[in-house]
Amino acid sequence: MISCTEFIPAYSELFRFLEARDGKKAVIGFWAYISDHFLNNLRDLVAKNGIKGCWLYWHHTLNEEAADFTMELDEEAGEFRINMRHCPSKGRLLEIDHMKPYPDYCEHCDLLYRRVLEPLGYSYEFDSSRTHKAACAIVVKRGKPS
Amino acid sequence: MATLKIDRKAGDNVYLHKDFHGGLSAGLEYVRLRYGEQAVRDYLRQFALAWYAPLTKALREKGLPALREHYDHIFKLEGGEVHFTESPDELLIEVLLNPAVAHMKANGYAISPLFNETVATVGKTICESTPYAMEMLRYEAETGRYTQRFFRRAA
Repeated sequence: MISCTEFIPAYSELFRFLEARDGKKAVIGFWAYISDHFLNNLRDLVAKNGIKGCWLYWHHTLNEEAADFTMELDEEAGEFRINMRHCPSKGRLLEIDHMKPYPDYCEHCDLLYRRVLEPLGYSYEFDSSRTHKAACAIVVKRGKPS
Repeated sequence: MATLKIDRKAGDNVYLHKDFHGGLSAGLEYVRLRYGEQAVRDYLRQFALAWYAPLTKALREKGLPALREHYDHIFKLEGGEVHFTESPDELLIEVLLNPAVAHMKANGYAISPLFNETVATVGKTICESTPYAMEMLRYEAETGRYTQRFFRRAA
């Protein structure tokens, strides 16, 4: 059995496998597939609860992933933010010394969630400028991107 | 209208996100549908060669106790139920409760028909370039219960 604690290297290696097979477009195609077929829980929570659905979704996942983060919700303003000080997934990949992580690993967080949230009427910003330090930020706002 | 804020440190929680089993299953299914069954095995072999390289090294150096230690650790971590039968040249692993399959079934995740390869292909790959081999004696897709046998190859 592959433990769920080994999933991140398995995921990273899947990106590498797909890229070697069919180029970056195959990796992006996979991310789109995962967004469409695996993120129904986020899609359903936001459809039912509005922007609070983001809080409910990430409150569950980030706690189970033992992330180091601040998460804020302002329902009236229609804003949801995550400041990820240390992403457990990217952090693990950076710590592995016997396996090379997929170089564009963090890009999946941009595509997966944007693809769910924008069609539901939210803008999605992903700050990837600190991913080399396993840090990033997400801002979701009610309303279409300006 | 709620205003909520939480601040968490990594040490506040235990790293155990079982929904990742569903993510792995979805990944296998994508590869199967797009590239075929052999591609799933090729991917898992590539992953196992990379990720389990230290375990393969330990198997070469310490023998079957290295495998028992590894699997004992992950089944304890995930709350599985497993029985080990050991002899100097053989390790039988009988999984009575597969926590990956149990979690996916309990939470409505689709289970790839090739999910058994996460045991079979991975087990065989870990043994590559060692004096050992692995054979699957049983895998029940419905429950994920399985029995696998690691053994010393004939000289």
